[in-house]
Amino acid sequence: MKRLLGVMASVALLAVPAAADDNTARALDSEVADLKKEVLALNRELFLLEEELLFPANSQVALFVSMDVGDFFALDAVQVKIDGKEVANYLYSEREVEALIRGGVHRIHIDNLKSGDHEIVAFFTGKGPQGRDYKRGAELTFEKGLGAKYMELRISDRQSKLQPEFFISEWE
Amino acid sequence: MTRRILTALALVCALVAPPLAADEDGPGPVVVRDPHYGEVLFHFYKGDYFSAIVRLAAAQEREQLVHHDDEAELLRGGLALSYGQHEEAHQIFRKLLDGNTAPEVRDRTWFFLAKIRYQRGFVDAAADALAAIGDELPKDLEPERRMLQSQVYIEQERFDEAIELLDGWRGPAGWVDYARFNLGVALVRKGEFAEGANWLDRVGRLSDDRPEMLGLRDKANVALGYTWLQNDQPARARPILQRVRLNGPFSNKALLGVGWADSDRGNYRAALTPWTELSDRNLLDAAVQESLLAVPYALGKLDATRQAAARYEDAIVAFANEQQRIEDAIAGIESGEMINRLLESTAESEAIGWYWRLDAMPDATESRYLYLLMAGHRFQEALKNYRDVLELRNNLLEWKDKVTVFQAMIDTRKAGYTERLPRIEAGLEAADIDALRARHATLEARLNRIESERDLFALASKRERQLVEELDLAAEHPTFALSAPEVDDARRRLELMRGVLQWRAEKDFDARVWRQRKLLRETTRAVALAERARLAVDDTRINEPSRLVDFDHRVIQLTPRIDAKIAELELSLGAQRAYLHGLAIEALREQQRRLDTYTVQARFALAAVYDRATAARNDAESSEAAQ
Repeated sequence: MKRLLGVMASVALLAVPAAADDNTARALDSEVADLKKEVLALNRELFLLEEELLFPANSQVALFVSMDVGDFFALDAVQVKIDGKEVANYLYSEREVEALIRGGVHRIHIDNLKSGDHEIVAFFTGKGPQGRDYKRGAELTFEKGLGAKYMELRISDRQSKLQPEFFISEWE
Repeated sequence: MTRRILTALALVCALVAPPLAADEDGPGPVVVRDPHYGEVLFHFYKGDYFSAIVRLAAAQEREQLVHHDDEAELLRGGLALSYGQHEEAHQIFRKLLDGNTAPEVRDRTWFFLAKIRYQRGFVDAAADALAAIGDELPKDLEPERRMLQSQVYIEQERFDEAIELLDGWRGPAGWVDYARFNLGVALVRKGEFAEGANWLDRVGRLSDDRPEMLGLRDKANVALGYTWLQNDQPARARPILQRVRLNGPFSNKALLGVGWADSDRGNYRAALTPWTELSDRNLLDAAVQESLLAVPYALGKLDATRQAAARYEDAIVAFANEQQRIEDAIAGIESGEMINRLLESTAESEAIGWYWRLDAMPDATESRYLYLLMAGHRFQEALKNYRDVLELRNNLLEWKDKVTVFQAMIDTRKAGYTERLPRIEAGLEAADIDALRARHATLEARLNRIESERDLFALASKRERQLVEELDLAAEHPTFALSAPEVDDARRRLELMRGVLQWRAEKDFDARVWRQRKLLRETTRAVALAERARLAVDDTRINEPSRLVDFDHRVIQLTPRIDAKIAELELSLGAQRAYLHGLAIEALREQQRRLDTYTVQARFALAAVYDRATAARNDAESSEAAQ
């Protein structure tokens, strides 16, 4: 009966995870890696086609939300209006806010606009200093010419006043 | 440049380090200069690696990452790692890291590649990556590298190298204990029991209360205890096994071992205590199953024959019931529902990408039997692959629908273009922008002249100009040539009126010029807008047909590729499913085989008990008859 112990002792001594050493596992793993590579390549082509078809460079305007430290403002949502019409109302998850604070930039909206002047108004909702409800707006009138236009909706901490700042600018 | 690459490398490190460590020591915010790079980072930090890779590749193709070229390539490598494409990552890193890369960057990158490969079970490939690390890594990574290297050596059965690496090493607290454990394991597996036991014993006496260290301590004690049992030294095994916590994951094995240590020394009564405790625990554990045989074995040795027989009979029934339940579980797996249930149970999991693993068991018959298998690396990796392929298929199914819409859009645009072209051309002919530009230039020249010559009445109102003309005309009348007091008086009044008009025009002149300049500027903008619109229309008129043909061509060639890939993915899903089912069923069959063995042993033991009982009865009857 004691021979059963042998199995257990060897199990106990395996301090390291077992290797994926069987051939089937390796073959499937390599098949999945190939499929991922091919589907990613296909997605890249589809992504480019979709953007070029729906938002041609001449009329394209993309709005990006960015954020620095985030000590004075905990972002909940951003609402955007272009020429008085609401085009985006985005609620951020905790993970997305963290992604913004770490340097990520969220493309909140992409649109086609005619050449000429347009007005963007953005409302930022969240918790301000001392955890109070906080809602602030920012606006900018910009001229859309030929070629894609990228606008930045920026949330920034103003150290001197211990307050958040919100502004819109063209991404140079 | 090196500093920026190191920042990007810090991103990759954040991927590879466990999530908690990433939170504590994660890299600071990245300074983003191209919005599309920032967008890739956003998806990357969210854990949506697939979208991040697609966006990165698209932005690279459009040359939208001019300020982040090198970092982007390193990030691509890191994303490939997180998305489980370690070979792809290896290719990217190799290209980036040859030549004149800073040694610090190169060594760190090889280290992380080694770590990922090892955790995915590719031990030899991990060994290659470790071998590529040149100088010593920075202090914070060096202990981890040493530990990884030693584990690789142990798995490759290169015990001498593992021992040489670990023996005498002085690392930070915590790491030293892991090193001692690995050193003990390497020595024991090499056959140097005494020295190996010495190291395991030190780890087994740790007084660190952190959960992971308590786990390490238990593991060391179970390993050491069983090593002594296998070397027929039960007296040394017992106190070691007794150090294991009663509620930890190793407690069943420890209880079984303590019982064997007592029984090996002939102390069957003492052995009954841990074994009886164990036999009341969950029958899924092999140690518990074994205890069902161990208890009657000890009872038999204590001549409690009737109790022993009853316990063996109970064990046989328990094993038979368990066999039936496992058979039901196998039927459940064969019905194909297992994988769906597994994926559903982790649908809400926060873990992502490379870190994703099955951590919640679905409430199904098979789950309780597959716990060990499911916690194992091989099953987790296979399930991760299945989930990834499923997502790829769903992704392409969505694109398939979208591409149908794209085709309809292109057709509509083609029709709209053909229909609107004549109207647009007619409109363009009517709108003579060149003439508009010429008129604008004439106006500007006229205003310049008026301003430089201070032509006061040029910008005056019609009425004022009319009055001046009338006054000037009147002044030229022959009557005013006469000399008479009445005429002199009329001339003075005429000159006064002319003077008033002149003074007014003088006073308003600058304001009028300013107003005209403003109007002219607005006209300039209007002309520019008209010219821009004209260019846009020209561009559309000339290029739209070729653009539509290009879109058409792209959609036409993409559609069959999507279909073909979906079919391939379906096939792959089938293969992955069969593999997972095979693993699960094999694990269950293995349990059945073990139960079979235990059942046979129970039957033999029961027969022996009955034999002994019968022999004893016969002896008793013979002696009674003799009397």
